Amino acid sequence: MATTTITKTEKLVGKRIRRREDPRLITGTATYVDDIKMPGMLYAAILRSPHAAAKIRSIDVSKAAALKGVTAVFTGKDTEQAGAVPCGASLPGLRVPHHHLLAIDRVYLVGHPVAVVVATDRYIARDGADLIEVDYEPETAVADPEKALEPGAHAVHPQWPDNVAFTFHQEGGDTEKAFKEADVIVKQRIVSQRLVPNPMETRGVVADWRAAERSMNLYSSTQVPHLVRSLVAQILGMDENRFRVVAPEVGGGFGAKLQIYAEEILLAYISKKLQKPVKWIESRRENFLCTIHGRGHVDYYELAAKRDGTITGIKLKIIQDLGAYFTLLTPAIPTLSVLMMPGLYRTPNISADIVGAFTNCTPTDAYRGAGRPEATHGIERMVDMVAAELKMDPAEIRLKNFVRNEEFPFPTATGLVYDSGDYSAPLKKAMEMASYDALRKEQVEARKQGKFMGIGLCAYGEICAFGPSPATPAGGWESATVKIEPSGKVTVLTGVSPHGQGEETTFAQIAGDELGVDIDDILVSHGDTSLVQYGIGTFGSRSTAVGGTALYFALQDLKAKIKKFGAMLLESEDVTFSDGKCVCNKTGKSCSVKEVAAAAYRAMKLPPNTEPGLVATHFWEPPNFTFPFGAHLVVTEVDRDTGGVSIRRYVAVDDCGNILNPLIVDGQVHGGVAQGIGQALWEQAVYDDSGQLVTGEFMDYTMPRAHMMPWIESGHTITPTPVNPLGVKGVGEAGTIGASPAVVNSVVDALSPLGVRHLDMPLTPEKLWKLIASKDQAGSNA
Amino acid sequence: MIPQRFEYSAPKTLDEALGLLAEGAKPLAGGMSLIPMMKLRLAAPEHLVDLGRIKDLSYIREQGGSIHIGATATHHDVESSALLRGKCPLLAETASHIGDVQVRNMGTIGGSVAHADPSADYPAALQALEAKLVLKGVKSERTVSAEEFFVDTFTTALEPGEIVREVIVPVDGDGTGTSYQKVLQPASGFAIVGIAARVRKSGEKITLVRIGVTGLANRAFRATAAEKSLEGKTGSAAEVQAAAAVVAQGVEANSDLHASADYRKHLAVVYAVKALNAALSRIA
Amino acid sequence: MKISGSYFLPLPPEEAYKKLQDPDVLAGAMPGCESLEKIGDDEYRMKMKMALASLSGNFDGKVRITEQTPPESFKLMVEGSGKVGFMKGEGVLKFTPKDAGTEVSYEGDVQVGGTIAAVGQRLIDGTAKMMIKRFFEKVAA
Ligand SMILES: Cc1cc2nc3c(=O)[nH]c(=O)nc-3n(C[C@H](O)[C@H](O)[C@H](O)COP(=O)(O)OP(=O)(O)OC[C@H]3O[C@@H](n4cnc5c(N)ncnc54)[C@H](O)[C@@H]3O)c2cc1C
Repeated sequence: MATTTITKTEKLVGKRIRRREDPRLITGTATYVDDIKMPGMLYAAILRSPHAAAKIRSIDVSKAAALKGVTAVFTGKDTEQAGAVPCGASLPGLRVPHHHLLAIDRVYLVGHPVAVVVATDRYIARDGADLIEVDYEPETAVADPEKALEPGAHAVHPQWPDNVAFTFHQEGGDTEKAFKEADVIVKQRIVSQRLVPNPMETRGVVADWRAAERSMNLYSSTQVPHLVRSLVAQILGMDENRFRVVAPEVGGGFGAKLQIYAEEILLAYISKKLQKPVKWIESRRENFLCTIHGRGHVDYYELAAKRDGTITGIKLKIIQDLGAYFTLLTPAIPTLSVLMMPGLYRTPNISADIVGAFTNCTPTDAYRGAGRPEATHGIERMVDMVAAELKMDPAEIRLKNFVRNEEFPFPTATGLVYDSGDYSAPLKKAMEMASYDALRKEQVEARKQGKFMGIGLCAYGEICAFGPSPATPAGGWESATVKIEPSGKVTVLTGVSPHGQGEETTFAQIAGDELGVDIDDILVSHGDTSLVQYGIGTFGSRSTAVGGTALYFALQDLKAKIKKFGAMLLESEDVTFSDGKCVCNKTGKSCSVKEVAAAAYRAMKLPPNTEPGLVATHFWEPPNFTFPFGAHLVVTEVDRDTGGVSIRRYVAVDDCGNILNPLIVDGQVHGGVAQGIGQALWEQAVYDDSGQLVTGEFMDYTMPRAHMMPWIESGHTITPTPVNPLGVKGVGEAGTIGASPAVVNSVVDALSPLGVRHLDMPLTPEKLWKLIASKDQAGSNA
Repeated sequence: MIPQRFEYSAPKTLDEALGLLAEGAKPLAGGMSLIPMMKLRLAAPEHLVDLGRIKDLSYIREQGGSIHIGATATHHDVESSALLRGKCPLLAETASHIGDVQVRNMGTIGGSVAHADPSADYPAALQALEAKLVLKGVKSERTVSAEEFFVDTFTTALEPGEIVREVIVPVDGDGTGTSYQKVLQPASGFAIVGIAARVRKSGEKITLVRIGVTGLANRAFRATAAEKSLEGKTGSAAEVQAAAAVVAQGVEANSDLHASADYRKHLAVVYAVKALNAALSRIA
Repeated sequence: MKISGSYFLPLPPEEAYKKLQDPDVLAGAMPGCESLEKIGDDEYRMKMKMALASLSGNFDGKVRITEQTPPESFKLMVEGSGKVGFMKGEGVLKFTPKDAGTEVSYEGDVQVGGTIAAVGQRLIDGTAKMMIKRFFEKVAA
């Protein structure tokens, strides 16, 4: 190699770099939808149904319309022709209810939008909503998916009296044979309860129609600005090229904002009608009722195994509570559970059925993990039950059934191909970190003293990096543009739409390393369809694995161009580009990116067949999903007197492939674990029999909070994926997926001396106390 | 989350405030209970009188052998008061269990007792302390006991136009130990059951027991049967257990999504043991 | 939500039965009742103003009495709706002679919807009990 004077700069990738988006967040200077103010802006308030099921006899808006300051009132009749809420998922035989933007003659959930009042300020708009008189004829509702499927249940949609939206069947291998030849069969009904995603920022929309330009500017708190643009423009018959969607700062989404909501369509429609900008900000109460919910499974599992612990077959019937209508992906979510039902195990024989049930409840859709937490919870509970049945250690049965390292790429019985893995590594590491053997000894002692100490394991797998386009409803590729400005500063435009995941930092790290420029010279922009080339958005742990890869390839294209200019400037064919410099391998002379940029834009001279400027755009289509994995180990203790669960230790070992920024990975895991523990111990969307959401405020819906969290000991193993050149798999949902089964397995283990083999979430103290009290009673009676 | 239109006054003197209240206005203290209800439009007062600007309504001072706490003293003031920590630690300890830091910085003792949430923390301690409340109207001032004050769910002895002016608690001398033990409802932070225990000993003998219970029933109450059972005893484990066993006796317990009546009663017993034991161990 | 309980009235069953159907008595005893207007046989339109702590709300509703078997039992239905939601209560009242008076026992269902349903979990049970207690106290007075 030629001599060079350049000293190797330190790589950014792999470092714990603090999030570059945080200063504006923690100083309160970020711009959310509600911070947007426009001259002449009007405010909308939405009147919603207090009934879960009712006919509308009449709506009288006269008093509202007469209120001083009210500009307009819209009811379902006014917006009937405007369009309906779209569903992007398709399944054979799927019954798709037409969900009008506003109710026409019936409401089918509490919170169903009935009318919109637009006024000069939000107080008047809200007062106006109170003045609308709706004459409802209430009907009996059905709020439980299993009850909805019983004969004679109230029909959520009168045209489909059985409340079945679809059935779905999938199988692989020969499940019947596996069950016939099994030594043990374990069966269990497992509920994954409905949850409310609760992002910190509720939804909000500002629509600004500019008649003279025939253009729509729609600001929405969304994870998918481009999809919102394409779909809302299409629904309203507006020009997509004149339809700009901006996702400003978005305060969390968790899948709840991976949607096209009625309000986005309504506000655009109304703004055009009134020729004024209009704002609507969702209240927390509306968020509980009208933004999607997650989970909502009743699963019937059967596992077949050999005496040595080999799992030979899985049967699963999912009853999915769909809610009253579909949002973007509603019916598709349980199919993800089916795909992931084998977990990390080799099990060649599976059979799965889904029954999608309509209920008079909020639609369910993607919530952090979307289908995979349910699947993981199920298989990880079942594996523990098989282990208990066979008197095997739960670690041993897992290690025995894991897909082996030499079997990758591994085709699963559900039709996936697991990319890469060393599944035993995180489990062994977690056990080592927790001193598993010592814990088991301690447990023996604790039990002698009558204490309920439990050790729970979970080995989880995920399907991430959504995904190959043929397998996703809206395209699964991602895009990036990298521009080096004439000054040498770098702008990255990404098609993903981060809202807390930290890609402004990780993408700057990637670009910084590839271009050899200072991270402070890089700006990562996103979320504005008039700025960014088309993109898909942020969900399904895809941003870095797909969007980051698109960026990587755009950077390669750009580097090739830089090299051409470098060769021209250095007057040499033999040029290397690294660490921000083009170096002539013969002379050692070099020129910087900055110098190249100046030359590329000044364009006094151009390399052969080369255009001026330094911009590259790449759209990348992933060849496969990625499959991150990991293991959680949780030590709990259950208080005999109160049933309260305390988490004594929480060990989380994740393998998300290469780690770009350990700080961000830890943050993602911590947040995810909090939500997983939340489901395991506290959270539940409870509807009463009449379809009222009774945990519809933070007074009754227990969100996990910082002081309720255990210390999380995190560890990592690294198995890069061959699916993308960065070797990254995705980590946005991992914590959530691993946590709930680990916690429940731990508590079941704690109470196993009482003969407990399964418990449904949330593990509230009263539930456990009753169980302990009843067993103690039975014990003393015996 | 948008309240109805309302008038807002922030008088500087108590008399001015009482005048407005006599005309039907509603007092606003920390707003921690009132404002959420207004945002949901479950409450729609036409006129709010902010008590927060009234001079000399937020005090904690010793006077004639008791401690007087002004209505607008915040939970944080109570929790961190050196005077209370030294001479009436039960109240300070109870305040420290209320909600979270933000709520304690804003919420007031007057607002809490006037609101009379059956799961609020203070009422348990005030019952155990046999506290007195000074109620003031335009032309009246009267003093009632905690027992008289807490009438029912969200219902107090306050007459229209009256405010809680101050709360008076005793100075607990040597020989007294106290403790507040609470099972909290994890979503709201309110008490599923809260037990305030106050025990005095002379030599080996227990001479006074006061047990205030909140969260269990329609209002905070004193568990007199349990008190009697322990008075005159020494405080052995068995005696404490026996006393605790009757705290919920004859009580028609609350029941909701978070805890059934049976569970609440059971917790009352478990937490009474904890509170009594802690109180006994704290006797100096 | 299920509710049940009993209350002692120092009246013979016949009188207790009558009293609990007397619109004037009902109007006076129903917490927050502002007016009760007969609209049919044993059916009344009611305006209520509920005030509880800082909560307050106006309800328009109906009271209906059915399944009469004097002096043993009847069914009472109360429903109301307002801006903050709606409530519906339905219960059977039974009259049993006891100690020179009558034990009135009730058993029924209370349903609450709208905003009040979402924030009132902790409160509905206690509030319903209190309202019923106040009602009987007023009737007895
Ligand atoms: C998130 C959260 C958690 C909470 N957790 C707990 C908890 O764990 N334990 C607990 O006990 N409480 C809890 N609270 C309630 C809190 O303690 C409130 O501060 C308290 O109940 C009301 O006090 P305030 O000063 O905020 O009164 P406000 O909300 O201002 O007023 C409450 C009511 O009292 C009236 N009022 C106020 N002051 C007076 C006065 N001096 N005289 C007469 N009437 C008056 C008002 O008109 C109103 O009707 C919680 C509240 C929140 C928001």
